[in-house]
Amino acid sequence: MRGVWVHGVGAVTPLGGSWAETSSALAAGACAVGPVRGFDASGFPSRHAAVVAQDFPGEDRRAALALRAAREAFAAAGLHRTDPRRIGVFVGAESGRPPFATFAALARAAGPGPGLDHARFCAEAASRARDLDSRVHSPAAVAARLAAEVGAKGPVATLSLACASGAAAIAEAARAVSLCECEVALAGGVGADVDALMLAGFGLLGALSESGVSRPFDRRRDGFVLGEGAAMVVLGSERGFARVAGIGRTLDAASLTAPGGNGGLRAMRLALAAAGLRSVDVVQAHGTSTPLNDAAEAQALREVLGGGSLVSSIKGALGHAIAAAGALGFLAAVEAIRSGLVFPTAGLQEPDDDGGALPHVLQRAITRRVDSALVNAFAFGGANCSLVVTRE
Amino acid sequence: MSAPVAIAGAASVSAFGIGFRGLGQAIASGALRPRESVLLRESHPGTLASEVPPIPAALDAGDARSRKLMSRAARLSAIALREALAAAGFDDRREQIGAFMGVGASGLAMEDVPAIVSASLDAGAFSLPRLGDRGLLACNPLFTFQTLNNFSLCHGAILEGLGGPNAAFFSRGSGTAVALAEALHAVRAGDCDRALAGGADTALHPLTWAELQRGGFAAQGLLPGEGAAVLALAQEAARPIGWLESCAAIGAGEDAALLDLPARAELVVLAPWGAPPRAALTELAGSRYPGAAIVDLSRCLGDSLAAAPALAWVVALDLLRPGERAVVLTCGVDGEVTAAVFAGALR
Repeated sequence: MRGVWVHGVGAVTPLGGSWAETSSALAAGACAVGPVRGFDASGFPSRHAAVVAQDFPGEDRRAALALRAAREAFAAAGLHRTDPRRIGVFVGAESGRPPFATFAALARAAGPGPGLDHARFCAEAASRARDLDSRVHSPAAVAARLAAEVGAKGPVATLSLACASGAAAIAEAARAVSLCECEVALAGGVGADVDALMLAGFGLLGALSESGVSRPFDRRRDGFVLGEGAAMVVLGSERGFARVAGIGRTLDAASLTAPGGNGGLRAMRLALAAAGLRSVDVVQAHGTSTPLNDAAEAQALREVLGGGSLVSSIKGALGHAIAAAGALGFLAAVEAIRSGLVFPTAGLQEPDDDGGALPHVLQRAITRRVDSALVNAFAFGGANCSLVVTRE
Repeated sequence: MSAPVAIAGAASVSAFGIGFRGLGQAIASGALRPRESVLLRESHPGTLASEVPPIPAALDAGDARSRKLMSRAARLSAIALREALAAAGFDDRREQIGAFMGVGASGLAMEDVPAIVSASLDAGAFSLPRLGDRGLLACNPLFTFQTLNNFSLCHGAILEGLGGPNAAFFSRGSGTAVALAEALHAVRAGDCDRALAGGADTALHPLTWAELQRGGFAAQGLLPGEGAAVLALAQEAARPIGWLESCAAIGAGEDAALLDLPARAELVVLAPWGAPPRAALTELAGSRYPGAAIVDLSRCLGDSLAAAPALAWVVALDLLRPGERAVVLTCGVDGEVTAAVFAGALR
């Protein structure tokens, strides 16, 4: 198998319309979390989120975000002469949704009553056919749109692994490049879940922060804050500025909602072993700010790395972008390799040191030479993906 | 060509019930016929479909509590995963077994909708704040998880203790072939010595069927179906039921030569979504393998979206004789064509 290198990156996040803007803001310690303003969330369990300020009228929000990130990554990579049949596209995405007004109208048509009024529901659905077009809201629609944008005619796949989707898509792309299934792969993730349905749904689970603050690994953490955005990378077999050196994928097989077993720990160990490393300089942690995830991840990091690696989580600043989260973390790790910039964990002021202190990056970015980084993405349902990125 | 990988066992849930032995013959003989869908009776009365019959309690997935958290696809998937593990005798080191599934959009339970609406009304009008603090309390509190596609993989993985490398590919056909190709690679490369791969989905959700109707697929002969099927791959198997040689997918309109089909096959199983791809796949099979037996399962099992290729694979394994080779060709509603190549057990 051949080496897989990063040639370009791109992102649209609540902190910027490009990775360069986002990176600068993250380095400055900025935080995008704020009150939800797009709809009336006053009755919701959590009323804060990190939102991309831009609207995309007439476009599926996921596709719009991913497209802009992909354009940036592809332009940065400068690989336009690649045979289209040798370009693959791998996207981590979940289902999109119609506008909430459409949901509300359908719900009104369906009831209230002792049961669902199918006739009225279907009549309302028919009148809103354009908003309900499954081809637009399909998870696969994003990858298809990106393939059309860059003219890719190689393998196209959509990974739907919840919070691990973006990282898993990069892993799948790296596999395809290493096995010569394609020369160049556009890969990453997109999440656009700051809507009433998901805010209420995750809130009901008790997963969201009632305080409205994302504080990964902090003693006061009380849940995650929803975010959104897209992060894309261009991978290829020729030497680039960072190498995908190791991949580890496991299942917890324990719980739908809580980390359990040792799945995360095993994923990290597998990725490190594949890279031929025992430790790394930096960890871009999953770090969601939920009590259970952060405690389990911190303990796994202590066991695997012994507390010697800098630990950072960008979810303090960007919230949890679900299917994009792992790809955003990957970009942060690549940035550490490329520029030596290790982002601080926004919101982290009182590290939860139960079990032993970890070298968190607090308040200010650290600049130093980084030769290796580990990225974690752990999903609801127990799917884990860890990636190791190296300079050589 | 890379070395084939042993298939230690397989399982399926379909209109034929739980199990795949005899399914091929039932299709070939025309004994398995579409019936009026029970699941679509309220929303689309009179719809002919290929529907999984009532599942005996003893064979159902998990317990009543866990089933409440499952979409129908996740439930079918969990049964197929369990049965495939049993068939393959994968009883030990479950935490090392890989799991790769093609999954569809799981779909919210329709019965939650009236409950949500009733609780969300404020002075007769639908209120968003009231939805937030009361409406959603009236429905399954874990409904969010029914919108996450990976749960068709994860429910079964949790119930069976699967902990190895994994992926859930969104699929309306080809993603399921990618899942099998990924499992094949994982076993060959030693990422795991055993892996499960398959697909699970249902087209018998009122919204899914409405979308397929609106997309024009129903008018072109798409029979809605549902099911799940799983293959158990192993680096070593004492009594393999067959061998997987390759699996590939190509995009809509691409040259079938890219599928890299073998020169010889005695059996071709087709799973086209409807009439247009049926003609194309039949022509491809007939011209490429003029002496082969051709079985088209779409008239009996319909199109079960992410499950369709996997059901076609187990049909091939059911019909395949030792020393023979089978090619399974599928075409989902997105127009992508997949090809999986199997060899009979003798080797």
